[in-house]
Amino acid sequence: MAKIEPGMESMLDMYFFETNSLLEQLDEILLRTEQANAFESEDIKEIFRIMHTIKGSSAMMGFDNLSVLAHKAEDMFFVIRENPDVITDVSFVYDLVFQVSDSYKAQIEAIQNNVGGEYEQTNFDELIDKLIKAKDKLSSEASGEAPAADNAASAASSSEKPANAAQEGKVTVRVFFEEGCQMENLRAFLLINTIRDDCSMLEYYPADVETNSESSKEIVDHGFLISFSNKDNTNHILKQIENALNVQSYEVISTGEAAEESAAAAPKAEIPPEPVQAAVKTEKPAPAPAKPAAPAAALTDSAVEKAQAAVAAVNQTNGSQKQSLISVNLAKLDALHDIVGEIITTESMVISNPDLEGLELESFSKAARDLKKLTAELQDTVMSIRMVPLAGVFQKMNRIVRDMRKKLNKDVDFVIEGEDTEVDKSIVDSLQDPLMHLVRNCMDHGIEENVQDRIDLGKPAKGTLKLSAQNSSGEVIITVSDDGAGIDPEKIMEKARRQGILTKPESEYTEKEIQNLILLPGFSTNEQVTEFSGRGVGMDVVKANVEKCNGTITVDSKKGKGTTFIIKIPLTLAIIDGMEITVGDIVFTVPISTIRESFKVETEQIVYDTGGNEMIMIRGVCYPILRLHEKFLIDTEVKSLEEGILLLVSSDNKDVCIFADRLIGEQQVVVKPFPKYLARYNIKGEGLSGCTIMGDGSISLIIDTNTLIG
Amino acid sequence: MTNDVIKEAVAKQQSGDRKLLADNTVLGKVMTFNIGEQVYGIEIQYVTEIIGVQRITKVPHVPNYIKGIINVRSKVVPVVDIRARFGKPEIPYNSRTCIITLSFNDTSVGIIVDSVADVEDIRTSDISATPENKGVNSNEFIQYMIRSGENTTKLILDVAKLLDEQEY
Repeated sequence: MAKIEPGMESMLDMYFFETNSLLEQLDEILLRTEQANAFESEDIKEIFRIMHTIKGSSAMMGFDNLSVLAHKAEDMFFVIRENPDVITDVSFVYDLVFQVSDSYKAQIEAIQNNVGGEYEQTNFDELIDKLIKAKDKLSSEASGEAPAADNAASAASSSEKPANAAQEGKVTVRVFFEEGCQMENLRAFLLINTIRDDCSMLEYYPADVETNSESSKEIVDHGFLISFSNKDNTNHILKQIENALNVQSYEVISTGEAAEESAAAAPKAEIPPEPVQAAVKTEKPAPAPAKPAAPAAALTDSAVEKAQAAVAAVNQTNGSQKQSLISVNLAKLDALHDIVGEIITTESMVISNPDLEGLELESFSKAARDLKKLTAELQDTVMSIRMVPLAGVFQKMNRIVRDMRKKLNKDVDFVIEGEDTEVDKSIVDSLQDPLMHLVRNCMDHGIEENVQDRIDLGKPAKGTLKLSAQNSSGEVIITVSDDGAGIDPEKIMEKARRQGILTKPESEYTEKEIQNLILLPGFSTNEQVTEFSGRGVGMDVVKANVEKCNGTITVDSKKGKGTTFIIKIPLTLAIIDGMEITVGDIVFTVPISTIRESFKVETEQIVYDTGGNEMIMIRGVCYPILRLHEKFLIDTEVKSLEEGILLLVSSDNKDVCIFADRLIGEQQVVVKPFPKYLARYNIKGEGLSGCTIMGDGSISLIIDTNTLIG
Repeated sequence: MTNDVIKEAVAKQQSGDRKLLADNTVLGKVMTFNIGEQVYGIEIQYVTEIIGVQRITKVPHVPNYIKGIINVRSKVVPVVDIRARFGKPEIPYNSRTCIITLSFNDTSVGIIVDSVADVEDIRTSDISATPENKGVNSNEFIQYMIRSGENTTKLILDVAKLLDEQEY
């Protein structure tokens, strides 16, 4: 258990934000490059920079385990950066870095959930161990193929270290002699003499092997360090070392840069005994590209590091592109949003003030019109501030698909469309879980286990999972679709029968209704519960989550062809154009987007079905009539259809004429939820979605046609 | 917390600790109001404000004691008629009728009362626990009682219960 240092709390938010966005960036790079199956040198530098920044800020915040983890990952990428060709087993590196990223996220979440309290400090030793091993492996591979790697390495680093360019190609080797062979110092001296002629430069430690017999002990304990450079044939020299008398083993601890730096720092003696340290040393005195950040130099180390990273990032991307983004606390935006809502309400209060009734106010009306235009613009702007692209969420799905592809061993193409579609921030947040469930479901249940099954059905062997988003008339439509096995209506029916969730005779269920049964709580058809899905929670949670942001979800599936989930979410939650109608002394607001027409009716037009239900025929189509005063049990004098007014409104499923006393007019209204106290009553399920405060300060109830009719 | 102090005092009173009768410590304040002849009270920390009766918008599909919702400075607040809630006969609202808005755990509710009376101190010596008489409907909302004078008892409402009641 550990506690966050007092005084650091204020920085925590910033740290979380920064680290999380860096980790997301990291995931994005990894996913992108993994598809291409190769690291670009830009990407490697970027990953290195991310790890470096995270290391710095974690250390500053006192999260030692995180800092060490980042450090080791950074070390590994240091080797990769210097020797881009060294990666032979790409997927191994990816898995490792993904593990690092995941562990990081988990730990940060743990800290985040316990701000001010104690949190469990995860032990990353195992992972760190893996990283060190990977790094060692890479660096030994790097020196093994040094001649090939050197050119690339020098190309990659030449911009950073032009001064040292002349010394490229230096290799450091640690040699161990056979145990008990005696006089190690002289054997070392002989070895040096053997290879001297082939080397353009040669240094060794201990340096006084020829004269000082005491150095034998040092060689026995720590090995004999030779660093040499040979532009033409490193392997030849290594062979010579290998074959020299009494040499038991040798290891290449670093190529070029690392050794040369340390040699330069301590020309005579101090060749560091640990490969890891060598890497650290070279990175520490990195020539500061932070000239522009010079004033910041007085700050802490990590601040400087950050500045460097930032400068480097700017340089790396588009040269002169300036930072044009700021991060704002969401609470402030919410407050702004609320104020705009109030302004719009107040504006209506002023402009349609009862005191003005019957007055001819030319100049006032003109000013009022201008004001209206401006507030509308203000509203649009504020809404757009809160809009964020779905790309972030979609990118995370990419990650999930990647992991599952590996674990389930299913070959799937993941296609993303319309990730730049923008939706309200609050929607993005609440969409993440539902989408994750859907994508997992598609991967797990949707795509066939057996490739042959696909081929038999005439489908390509490789499955396709598609995630797309688009804007359409005030709604965002998000679809998750696969071309897998599809939903088998019979299986669903059977399962539903077993679970006892059927509410009417089986024969009355349409195919669509059957498919939508899977959205009910406690439904999961997969025989086996897997790591990813099948626990029977999920689809109903998805539905609940989507409905929380006033959205709807439907399933469309064809057996053998695939399954599509369609999520529709209204773009703007808070402000709608409404038509005010009265029933008795209650004012209702009907969203204009749902109204098709409104009209007076003659008694002759009314038809009755056998149950005595009223219906009306409009242009050859028969619509049921729903009397609002009956639905909501309101006392009103207007009971005859001729006296009142009918509105033809549409919902997702069908159209209905609703009967009200009178139309008042059109108004833009700010939707407010019902007070919490009323949440226990089923108001929302019975045709009302919320309420709004009107110009005169009274409250109007907003009708939700979907639940009203449904 | 005042609340804890009062609870403790109520518990002590219940155990029949005679010493407390002489204890004049002020534990907090209550706002008192009338429903018919009976005086009720609500601990002052729950009271947000007192407003006259204004236009109440009815809401369908709720129990009859929830009279609807009102607009209190751009906030939508539900209102409960205390008479109806306690199963007493309802009377028409007049100029003395008030809505007291209460807030508890982020829930705001207005209660309609016949008239608002006073704000007074809660003293340890005056507190007494409610008799164990669960049969009476209104009793479940009474947290404790305050005696004042010879024959008057004020019933202090349990706001948590009043606002957070679980009823489906």
